[in-house]
Amino acid sequence: MRASFTLILGLPLFVAALILPFVVADSYVVHSAAMVLYFAYMASSWNFVCGYVGQVSLGHAAFSGIAGYASVLLFTGLGLSPWIGMILGGVLAAAISVPVGYATFRLKGPYFTLTSIAFAEIMRIWLENTDEFLGIPLKGAQGLTVPPVGGTSLLAFQFDGKLPYYFIILAMLVGVMAATHVMERSRLGFYLKAIRGNRDGAEALGIDPTRYCLTALALSAFLTGLGGAYYAQLFRYINPERNMGIDLSIDMAVMTIVGGQGTILGPTLGALVLHPVGEMVRATLGGHVLGLHLIIYGVVLMLAVLYFPKGIIAPLQRWLTPAPKTTVTVVTPKEVEGR
Amino acid sequence: MDPLTLSFAVINGLLLGGIYGGVALGLSLIFGVMRVINFAHGSFLMLAMYCSYLLWASLGVHPYVSILVTVPFLFGIGYAVQSVVISPLIRRERALVVEPTSALLLTAGVYLVVDNSVLMAFGPDVRSVTTDITYESIFVAGLPINIARLIGFAAAILVAFALSFWLKHSDMGRAIRATAQNRDAAAMSGINVPLIYNVTFGLGCAVLGLFGALLVPFFSITPTIGLSFGIKSFLVVVLGGIGSIPGSILGGLLLGVFESVAAQFVTATSAAIFSFGLFIVILLMRPAGLMGRA
Repeated sequence: MRASFTLILGLPLFVAALILPFVVADSYVVHSAAMVLYFAYMASSWNFVCGYVGQVSLGHAAFSGIAGYASVLLFTGLGLSPWIGMILGGVLAAAISVPVGYATFRLKGPYFTLTSIAFAEIMRIWLENTDEFLGIPLKGAQGLTVPPVGGTSLLAFQFDGKLPYYFIILAMLVGVMAATHVMERSRLGFYLKAIRGNRDGAEALGIDPTRYCLTALALSAFLTGLGGAYYAQLFRYINPERNMGIDLSIDMAVMTIVGGQGTILGPTLGALVLHPVGEMVRATLGGHVLGLHLIIYGVVLMLAVLYFPKGIIAPLQRWLTPAPKTTVTVVTPKEVEGR
Repeated sequence: MDPLTLSFAVINGLLLGGIYGGVALGLSLIFGVMRVINFAHGSFLMLAMYCSYLLWASLGVHPYVSILVTVPFLFGIGYAVQSVVISPLIRRERALVVEPTSALLLTAGVYLVVDNSVLMAFGPDVRSVTTDITYESIFVAGLPINIARLIGFAAAILVAFALSFWLKHSDMGRAIRATAQNRDAAAMSGINVPLIYNVTFGLGCAVLGLFGALLVPFFSITPTIGLSFGIKSFLVVVLGGIGSIPGSILGGLLLGVFESVAAQFVTATSAAIFSFGLFIVILLMRPAGLMGRA
C-alpha cells in the first residue's frame, strides 16, 4: 500500500526532475532546482533518524559541517578526490555521532533536542574561532575555498555549468530514498518502529533501543555528511555559519515535519513546497527584506504541528490511494437469536 | 591570576548571574505549570529589549521608566501567544498523551517568526542605549560594582521572592499551583484552566519585560541574542531544577560565576563553548537539576 503510493507520487516527480533541466535550460532555474533537491536530500537524511526514532535533533548541521570540512581539507591538503573525501567525511561524521548519541539518547523529547543544539553550537563556535588546529588550517569564520582546477574534472568534483551538479544531487536523493525504503523493511526498521511505539515494551522483547537508535543515527549522520560535502563542492566554499549553523538544522527539521516525518517522500515534499517559497520571497523582495522566508517557515511549522501533525503527505495519501470500501453488516441481537 | 581580578570576575558573574536567574524565572514557571518548554523564551526577552530601546531612541524614555510599558506589553504578547498558538495543542492533547516535543516545535515556530520579524524591522545592526548609569559604579572594598548590574541583580532577587509569595498566598497563585499539580482535578474544582494557562504564560513573559528593560542599559541588542539567552535560561532552569523559583536564581548565579571566571582564562566566545558543555554535562549527570526532585 505504502510502496504503491510512494510510486504513484514519486515516479511523476522523478520524471519531472529528470526532464526539467532540458525544458528550462536557464542556469538560475537549474541552480535553484538543485538547491531544492539538496534540501530534499538533507531533510531525507534527517528523517532517517528523527522520523523513525522519533527524537527531534536540531544539531544535524554539525554532521554536515564535519564532513564538508573534511572533504575540502583532504582535497586542498592532500589532493584527495572530493568523492573519496566525501565518503571519509561521512564516516567521520558517523563516528562522531555515535558517542554523542550514546550520551544523549537517554534524554527524552525536548531535553534531547536542546542538547543537540548545544552540541552543534559548540562545534560551530569552536570552528568560528579556530584558525588553526593541530596544524590544519581551518581559517575560522572566514571559511575555506575550494581551489578551481579549471574546466571540468570528474575526479576533482568540478564541472562547468550547473547540470552535472543537478544530476549528482538528484542521484543522491534517489539513493537516500531507496535507503529509507530498504531500512523501513529491514529488521532495523521494524525494531525502530517498535521502539518508537513503546520503548519499554520493545526492550522487554529483547530489542536493545540504544543500539538500534545509534545505528540509525550513524547512518543519518553519514548521509547528512555526504550532503554537506556536496554543498561545499557546489559552492566551492564552506564556512561554519552556512554549513553548520542552526539555520540549516532548522531547515531540515521544518521541511521534514511539514512534509511528513517517517515517510519516504515526506521530506522531499516539504522541501519542494518550502524552498521555492523562500526563494521566491528572496527573488521578488530582494535582499533588503531579511528573514521574511523564515517567518513563513515559522508560520507553516506552527500550522503543520497544529493541523497536520503527520505532514502534508497524509491528506495527499488519502486522496491518491483511497482506502478500499468495506461493507459492514449490522446484526442486532434479535436477529442473532432468530438465526 | 591575581585575587583582585578573580574577585572582580566573581562579583560581576554573581550580578549577571542573578539577572540570568531572573530571566529564567518565566521559563521555569511556564514549564512547571504547563510542561511546555518555550523555545521562544529568549526571543521574547529580545522583543522586550527592542521595545525599551525604541522608547529610549524615539521618545527619550529612560529604560527604567519604560518598564511601565514593556511589562504589560510582554504580558499581552505572552497571553496572546498562549491563547492563539499553544492552546489548540493543549486542547488536542487532552485525549492523547502529552507530547512535549510538539510544544517545543510549536514554540520553535514562534521563535522563527519573532526573531525574523525583528530582523526584518530593524536589520542586523547592533544597537545600544547609553544612559546616565551605564558606566556608574560604586566601590565596595576597592572593587567597582556596576550600578545597572546591581539593580538587575536586586530586581531578580526581589521578583523571585514576590513571585513565590504571590504563588503561595494569592487566589490566582493557588489556582496556578493547583493546575500545575493536576490539570483535570483543578478543572473539576471550578478553576478556569485555559485562563490559568494564559495568565501563567503572560506572567512568564511579563518577567521578561522587566529584565529586558533592566538589561538594556549595559547590554547591546541584536535580533539574534534571543536564542543564546533562551539556551542560557534553559541551562539555568535545568541547573536549578525545573519549576523551582529559588533553584532558578541559584542556577543563574552558578552560570554567571562560571561564565565570568571562565572568561578570565579563555576568550569570551570560547567561554560560550564551556557553558554549552556545562549544559550537556548537567543534563546527562543530573537531569532533574540541583534542587529538583525526580
